[in-house]
Amino acid sequence: MIQNSRAGRRLAMRRIRPRRSPAVPLVVLAWLGAAVVMWMWWNNTPNVVGTANQLIAAGRITGLLGAYTIALVIAQMARVPALESRVGSDRVARWHAMSGRYAISLVVAHVVLTIWGYSEVSKTGVVSEAVTVVTDYPDMLMALAGTLMLLIVGFVSAGALRRRMRYETWYYLHLLTYAAVFLTFWHQLTTGAEFIASATARTAWYALYLTVAGLVVWYRVLTPVRLNLRHRMRVEATVVEAPGIVSVLISGRKLHRLGAEAGQFFRWRFLTPGLRWSANPYSLSAPPRPGLLRITVKAVGGHSSALGTLKPGTRVWAEGPYGALTAARRSRGKVLLLAGGAGITPMRALFETLPAAPGDLTLLYRAKSTEDLALWRELKAIAKERGARLMYAVNGPDGSRPEITPDGLKARLPDIDRHDVYLCGPPGLAAEWFHTLREAGVPERRIHHESFEL
Amino acid sequence: MNPFRTNPMRRVLLGTVATVSGVTALLALKPHTQTAVALPQTAASPTTPSAGASSPASASPSASSSTKSTKGTKGTKGTTTTKTVTGDTIQTRYGPVQVQITLKAGKLSAVNVLQVPQDNPRDAEIAQYSVPVLTQEALAAQSASINSVSGATYTSQGYISSLQSALDKSGN
Ligand SMILES: Cc1cc2nc3c(=O)[nH]c(=O)nc-3n(C[C@H](O)[C@H](O)[C@H](O)COP(=O)(O)OP(=O)(O)OC[C@H]3O[C@@H](n4cnc5c(N)ncnc54)[C@H](O)[C@@H]3O)c2cc1C
Repeated sequence: MIQNSRAGRRLAMRRIRPRRSPAVPLVVLAWLGAAVVMWMWWNNTPNVVGTANQLIAAGRITGLLGAYTIALVIAQMARVPALESRVGSDRVARWHAMSGRYAISLVVAHVVLTIWGYSEVSKTGVVSEAVTVVTDYPDMLMALAGTLMLLIVGFVSAGALRRRMRYETWYYLHLLTYAAVFLTFWHQLTTGAEFIASATARTAWYALYLTVAGLVVWYRVLTPVRLNLRHRMRVEATVVEAPGIVSVLISGRKLHRLGAEAGQFFRWRFLTPGLRWSANPYSLSAPPRPGLLRITVKAVGGHSSALGTLKPGTRVWAEGPYGALTAARRSRGKVLLLAGGAGITPMRALFETLPAAPGDLTLLYRAKSTEDLALWRELKAIAKERGARLMYAVNGPDGSRPEITPDGLKARLPDIDRHDVYLCGPPGLAAEWFHTLREAGVPERRIHHESFEL
Repeated sequence: MNPFRTNPMRRVLLGTVATVSGVTALLALKPHTQTAVALPQTAASPTTPSAGASSPASASPSASSSTKSTKGTKGTKGTTTTKTVTGDTIQTRYGPVQVQITLKAGKLSAVNVLQVPQDNPRDAEIAQYSVPVLTQEALAAQSASINSVSGATYTSQGYISSLQSALDKSGN
């Protein structure tokens, strides 16, 4: 290890390779795609005469946009590495939720506007027109079934209901989306004027949907199968780190070839009764070693509490690595790591591996009490070895919360505004810290955060 | 974009307003008067309906004669005969359909639609998308045994019957 001196710092700096997130180009691309879809409509519509036709045209526009958005919504969940590891799983999950809601709104608008428009043209009631459309037009029964499924998925994803549901129930209901998209696809081609009139449009649409389907099959099915056939992971041991916090050591073949970086996570499925059907995300709490990975888990519910009872030898099915909270996020300069509770896990791995000269790296660990400071001993050893700073903040004996204020931070780190800050902790705390950091003068683009909620 | 700043309600509002105004703008920019629907005047390879307000109104069938006309061109290599035959007018639930075919050297080379229901925008729209498909199929099949276009069953049946009668008359 190179410690000390300017030379050491320069060397450390050279190992820092900031990598830009592809988020902005991807969003631009998505908008361009939407523009192309609108152009398809424009090109195929000579005129719009009268109210009825305006309704029908609006129904068609919303239908096209909705179908396009749904393709994106699915692509966002295909676990494409560029999205998961460079944009960040949490951010992509937020995109997914947002575009999902948008797509469903568009689909509803499409249905309402189209039927209303048709009923104006044929001078029939809305209900009888709806029946005619579903029974007389090709592939419309399938489309109806698919739309109902989409609405169910949208309904159970709405905040209030989702929180009351078991994660797995919600997850498996969500898989209905694939069926829904398949069912609604065909009526677009057989009744959509844009597609009937143009073979090019049909080809483009097939290409869009087949690409998305290909991504899903490749990254959600084939990639994990290959990974697990190759690495054959098993539980090696479990270690109690603190009250309610357990580390699981996982052995396997050639684990350094997983390409996992410090700060990333996997979705873990333990092949033992009761745990087989859920794959929960946990971060690596140490940099991967050739034959060993480690996760450290706080018991908060069914899955996380059961991990302490895992028997050595239990087979493990892992998917990953995911997550963008890695060394590549930072710019050149000093680094502050802020960890709250279980949020220590990715920070622990980064604390060991982030390139930094002595004195350039600080970790602040927030927990309820000193007993809850899991992994503290090894953090101290790393701090000593690397010349890094390690601080903690716990509740007072009376349960009072420690104040972390902009001024307090500046007193400890006078040049905090020139730090990259990595942030991981419970949602409320993370939000609080974010604002504290902004007030202390840290630019927004240098605050790197990962949410433990997907 | 960071998760601590976004106000979901604002985003919903913004998305709604942007979409509604976008759709309204698109609709407003399209012409609001009925330029006669451009039924493709079919050539050997049917063109897709042309778009845009500037497209010339070409709905009125060019050849409205219902008589057989035969033009012969004599060349050194042989004779190419072009023959135009008009099919029966078929009454469908939504209105009459009638086609006229062109035969070149005994081969079906074009189908012109003389009549098709297009009194209201919906019918016009159906005609606009179904006719090119039917014509393409007819030219490929060189006969009237082609499939109906889904969503345009009546128009298709009228088209096919009229086409069949024209082919029968031509003695093909
Ligand atoms: C990227 C990421 C990294 C994480 N790293 C760690 C870590 O290193 N150590 C740690 O202790 N915890 C970590 N978590 C949190 C951990 O995943 C949850 O606490 C755990 O899955 C809860 O499951 P449960 O059955 O015990 O509790 P439940 O009571 O079933 O769930 C509690 C909450 O956890 C979330 N959750 C449950 N299952 C899943 C799932 N399969 N996928 C996504 N979210 C789920 C839900 O929001 C749920 O409301 C991480 C979470 C994420 C998203």
